[in-house]
Amino acid sequence: MFLYYVRLSMLSYKRNPVLSTLMVLAVAVGVGAYMVIFTLNYFMGGDPIPQKSGQLFHLQLDYGNPAIPDTSNQPQMAYVDTLALLDAPFAYAHSASSKFMAVLEPSNPDLSPFFVDGRGNTADFFTMFDVPFEFGGGWDRAADDTQQQVIVLSQDLNLRLFGGENSVGRDVELQGIHFTVVGVLDYWEPAPKFFDENNGAFNRAEEAYIPWSLIVGQQLRRSGNTNCWEPPKDSSFESFLNAECAWIQFWVELPTPDDQQIYADYLASYVAQERAAGRMQIPIEKRLFNVREWMAKREVQPDETRILSALAAMLLAVCLLNTVGLLLSKFLGKAAEIGVRQALGAHKGALFRQHVIEAGFLGAIGGVLGLGVASLGLEGVKILMGGERVNNEWMHLDLTVAAITIALAVISTIIAGLYPIWRACNVNPAIHLKAE
Amino acid sequence: MTSSLELGPITRALMRNKLGVVLIALQIAFTMTVIVNAIDIIHDRTLKITSPTGMEEDDIFSIRSFGFDSSINAQVLIDEDLDMIRQLPGVVDASRVNAVPASGSGSSSGYAIEPGRRELTVPAAQYSVDEHALNTMGLTLVAGRDFTPEDVRRRTATETRSADQIIVSLALAEEMFPGEGLQAVGRTIYSAEDKPLRIIGIVERLQSPWPNATDWIVERSLMIPDVVIDNSSIYLVRTVPGQRDALMADVEERLAGAGYDRILMNNKSVAQMRTELYRMDTAMARVLYTVIGTLIFITALGIIGLAVFSINKRRKQIGTRRALGATRGGILRYLLVENLLISAAGVLFGAVLTIGFNIFLVRTFDIPRLDWYYAPLGMLVLLLLGQMAALGPAVNASRVAPAQAISPSH
Amino acid sequence: MLNMININKRFRTELVQTQALADFSLEVKEGEFVTVTGPSGCGKTTFLNIAGLLETFDSGQYLLDGQDVSHMNDYQRAKLRNQKIGFIFQSFNLMPDLNLFDNVDVPLRYRGMGAAERRERIERALESVGLLARKKHLPSQLSGGQQQRVAIARALVGEPRFLLADEPTGNLDSNTAAGVMELLQEINQQGTTIIMVTHDVGLASRSARNVHILDGRIQSDVINSDVINSESTAA
Repeated sequence: MFLYYVRLSMLSYKRNPVLSTLMVLAVAVGVGAYMVIFTLNYFMGGDPIPQKSGQLFHLQLDYGNPAIPDTSNQPQMAYVDTLALLDAPFAYAHSASSKFMAVLEPSNPDLSPFFVDGRGNTADFFTMFDVPFEFGGGWDRAADDTQQQVIVLSQDLNLRLFGGENSVGRDVELQGIHFTVVGVLDYWEPAPKFFDENNGAFNRAEEAYIPWSLIVGQQLRRSGNTNCWEPPKDSSFESFLNAECAWIQFWVELPTPDDQQIYADYLASYVAQERAAGRMQIPIEKRLFNVREWMAKREVQPDETRILSALAAMLLAVCLLNTVGLLLSKFLGKAAEIGVRQALGAHKGALFRQHVIEAGFLGAIGGVLGLGVASLGLEGVKILMGGERVNNEWMHLDLTVAAITIALAVISTIIAGLYPIWRACNVNPAIHLKAE
Repeated sequence: MTSSLELGPITRALMRNKLGVVLIALQIAFTMTVIVNAIDIIHDRTLKITSPTGMEEDDIFSIRSFGFDSSINAQVLIDEDLDMIRQLPGVVDASRVNAVPASGSGSSSGYAIEPGRRELTVPAAQYSVDEHALNTMGLTLVAGRDFTPEDVRRRTATETRSADQIIVSLALAEEMFPGEGLQAVGRTIYSAEDKPLRIIGIVERLQSPWPNATDWIVERSLMIPDVVIDNSSIYLVRTVPGQRDALMADVEERLAGAGYDRILMNNKSVAQMRTELYRMDTAMARVLYTVIGTLIFITALGIIGLAVFSINKRRKQIGTRRALGATRGGILRYLLVENLLISAAGVLFGAVLTIGFNIFLVRTFDIPRLDWYYAPLGMLVLLLLGQMAALGPAVNASRVAPAQAISPSH
Repeated sequence: MLNMININKRFRTELVQTQALADFSLEVKEGEFVTVTGPSGCGKTTFLNIAGLLETFDSGQYLLDGQDVSHMNDYQRAKLRNQKIGFIFQSFNLMPDLNLFDNVDVPLRYRGMGAAERRERIERALESVGLLARKKHLPSQLSGGQQQRVAIARALVGEPRFLLADEPTGNLDSNTAAGVMELLQEINQQGTTIIMVTHDVGLASRSARNVHILDGRIQSDVINSDVINSESTAA
């Protein structure tokens, strides 16, 4: 019977092609527009590392100058605390990292020197964040301690420097310093860029990764935000490192609630000790945030997409109100046919099924067209929001979103159709069978 | 007059077709809510996008030079570069700065009117500049004086800053010395390190590098004649009108050809910086325009669709009316008044929804409250939209021949 | 076969109430061919709609094939219609976008019959009205008489015991009408009970039994013995 009803739906479409097409277009536009915004929210508010987002914790300490408003709630960590926590007496994986910029002088004479956007990070960074490698791998903690000049290249940078071949063991000169390639990443662009959302939650991942200790050891040009709530004593690098300035992203992997409790207690005692020494005078309640908590706290999702969600929902509502009207005209236009079907033995349940399927059929076509509208819309948004450093590759329809689009179109059309369907099922056959 | 508009019979007829009325009225209400609030947001964003930096924006570009040969004498390189640029025909002036307004990157610090009073700190953007900066940017000095070459202090990155005179934006002066405005020249403010800085000049306007941020410093800026000598330089260049694009290419070529190992990057006009800086706002405005256009289209279609449907259902009735002596104008008027009544119900409900949604937006996001005239204007626009959409079907209906009352087909 | 006892049916609008059937009683036996006549608005269509289970009634009792239908729900009534009753209408009421095959298919679909059996029955029904060759045609490609034949095929395809016809020849010219009547006679002679509402007094007087309705009541119920005889000899 299902296929029979689908065939009837097709015939019915052909009978009122203009009305049906209007309806399908209204559904397509409404659902398409809604799905553009849905996709933005779905990814921006999504979990970039679902397999362990509950175990990775970002650290926040009791920073800020009580005398200066707005200096509390610092998202990053200062150098002295980073060193202390890297030395914490635990076996948990942990990662300190920060951004730098450096001139890369390619050995290939055809390439002129260029800037790379780099990240200094400790060894566990790669394993903690499940960073995928195409060739080689990261380095070990010993390399951090001894400031070994090793480097991991992004897929793009490896393509640019070595044509994409396995470059493990090759030499790369950064800022006059020679590095040995130990690994090449596979494509890796988490969105949001959770491990450093403070420096652009939707910026591209860095192109080169080196042991974090080298940033200080070689006094590389740091980039990314630096926030100080006490000025450094003087302009020397040493003073800067010891000052109350936050510029490092610190994460720790705590697999179980027990681990989390142990680490939280340790942090509390560390903070208490620092407070006694005159630092950390603005107490905070919570110092460990898992990935989802941190993304929420930092309001990674822009206001724009949240406002647009509300507007898109209303646009969809208008389109569906339209659909209610059009379906009503369409179904009431079939009153005579419905009367005949009743005379020939159709009960109300059968008529209900027939018209639910017809509404669903129109919704499905609207959904397929809506996919087109949504991908066009996303292309448009991609162009509008694109920028040199912005990672907008995630702005596309994946299978989940496509399935949701079709489902939304079908379900919302059926819901919009409930009243028209009810009217159709309750057509009084006696009235419509008589000749006009 | 009232009787000729037949308000009574039309209303009674409408009450018998409740659903059609409710559908259209709801569509109009939602459409109005979205359109009015979207226009409000667009207006807000447009104000932001078009807010001036205070510079002669049309004629200015910047370029960053990054030397990577440690043997370079940075001081010599900077002087050579700036002399070369300033001598190019078409260049008005050039300056080396640490940051450019509206470029999205720079530094800020807190300042207080008394030393040691951290609780009084006012954050402001800080431009470290030479004596050419004010002229290069084309800022309007409204009080005091510009920097002289003698004011400028040069130092390396690890030496402590010694410059102690500043030029501030009027907005910063008013923030720190309320009510004094231009009289703030000569007053002293204190840096985060409690070093005194004397205000020697006030410019009418100088935006921060982040004027797109709503929760951050927008108009509060100061300039300090503190030049840090190192290999990374941002050159800001002002040209005579119309020469900018040609000189952007020329300057980059000449810097590249000057014989130093360096990378030249971010060669951008202020217009390009603005485009990047306000990308999100521009995107938002364009998306909203698209939403508005789509909604108007869909709602108009809905009105037309239901008007056609309800008129077709009533062809016989319309024919009968004609046969009973109704004129074409009378039928047209009947249908348009009918639409007006439905739209009026829609926009009344729409006004409530619009204001409710605006209150939600104001509370949840950083969106300004609607001006008083937005809702009435929105109501008027939607009433007109309704009339225009209904006009076609109504004109068609007025052409129904009286004979249709009798003819059995329809 | 059909037994109505004291049926009452009123229609109400906000302003008016009309008594469509008043204490209406009628019994029709298996194999009869009954014509129903009466002026416009006399209640004959209401009678037919109630007989066909398309409309409910306010009071009285209606037994169809021995079953009391008074308290049946929509589903049971639809099932009964589908299995026991065939309808023929003045304006044929074929579905314009279904071809002849699919039109005849409709009642079988609601019976939930397998595809092979449906095909066989549809083709047999179309064959019996002489239109099998045109099974892929749309109704609009046929003449009025042909359309009514398709409608008859559709009414008969489920092999109902009972055929209700509402002015089946009203939209046809007299030649075609005669052909359709002949077909109905034939169907009746094969055992199907037929009740036919008509305006045509000539047709009514030639039928075996004529019921005349006036103001919702039976005014006369005439059994024409000649026709009964001829029928009984044929049977």
